[in-house]
Amino acid sequence: MSELSREDLLGVVRDVWERHDPVPEHLVASMQAAAAIAASDLDAELMELVERSTELVGARGAGAYTLRFVHGDTDLLLRIAVDGDRSRVDGWVVPPEPMTIRALPGEVPASHAAVVTESGRFELTGLPLGLLRLRLEPHDATRPAFATPTFEI
Amino acid sequence: MTGIGAVRPAGPANEVWQRATDGFNRWVAGESSGLDDLVAVMTPVLWHVVRSYRLSESAAEDVVQTTWLALVRRRSAILDATAIGGWLTTTARREAWRVANATAAATPADEEELAPMLPRQRSAEDAVVQQDEGDRLWAAVDGLPERCRRLLRIVAFENRPDYRELAADLDMPVGSIGPTRGRCLAKLRVALMQTGEYR
Repeated sequence: MSELSREDLLGVVRDVWERHDPVPEHLVASMQAAAAIAASDLDAELMELVERSTELVGARGAGAYTLRFVHGDTDLLLRIAVDGDRSRVDGWVVPPEPMTIRALPGEVPASHAAVVTESGRFELTGLPLGLLRLRLEPHDATRPAFATPTFEI
Repeated sequence: MTGIGAVRPAGPANEVWQRATDGFNRWVAGESSGLDDLVAVMTPVLWHVVRSYRLSESAAEDVVQTTWLALVRRRSAILDATAIGGWLTTTARREAWRVANATAAATPADEEELAPMLPRQRSAEDAVVQQDEGDRLWAAVDGLPERCRRLLRIVAFENRPDYRELAADLDMPVGSIGPTRGRCLAKLRVALMQTGEYR
């Protein structure tokens, strides 16, 4: 005699509901269309790299440099510090604006994101080395997102 | 236990949430197919969660759509991609609860209050035809008290739902969700044993 486990029972519940109240056939396709249309005007515009500086910090495997990007009236200044196989980005957005900054590491997107403070600052830590882009998403939904070109840490 | 393949290995859970996170990440990185995949994997979950709020099919579809539009509009509010599934189900439940309450005035009496007194109504056809396994499993789930049916449906499709919100939605004290879930599962276990599908 084998006792039905909690997961077995919940599995039965899922099966039963999937059979007796199935997702309407058209629903997934129409939701995909609705979401795609809503998202279509959110495509990120590209920022332009206007300055790059390198400062060597000395210690092996460590270093820091700054990048400056602009898009419209927004300036983005980044200080990127490498420590071993990880890096951190300290950023300033000028003028300050409520937005979420996401790191999009090249091939393996991970969840590195931060919200800009009132003074326009943000930090992203523990980033992997390699290719990186930052995506800036203004919380004012009428403003389109923008993104930096890919740069390498 | 005997026979049937109805018992699946643990959870839809991990795979669904992992695929949702992957789709979200790809979408945020600029791949529109990531959004398609996220919608494809999570829409069925949202459907079952929303339908447990006693909404009609068309009201449930509206709630699911509202949830997807909220995601697109408020993507910047989601900092942790691994939490995307939970964000979606929570958003859908809030909206479902709001819509259900807006229309609740029309519902005469809480079915829950009557449920213990009355046997669940079944059509004559149901009673006779319950020959196949699927029908017997359905009868076991459908025969549970209303509160159990709703709670178990939500718990079965969600990934660790927030008990605080769930308690408010189901009009139960927070502390009783865990024990109630346990009692509901026990009732279901007994009902399934009685079907003869499991022993």
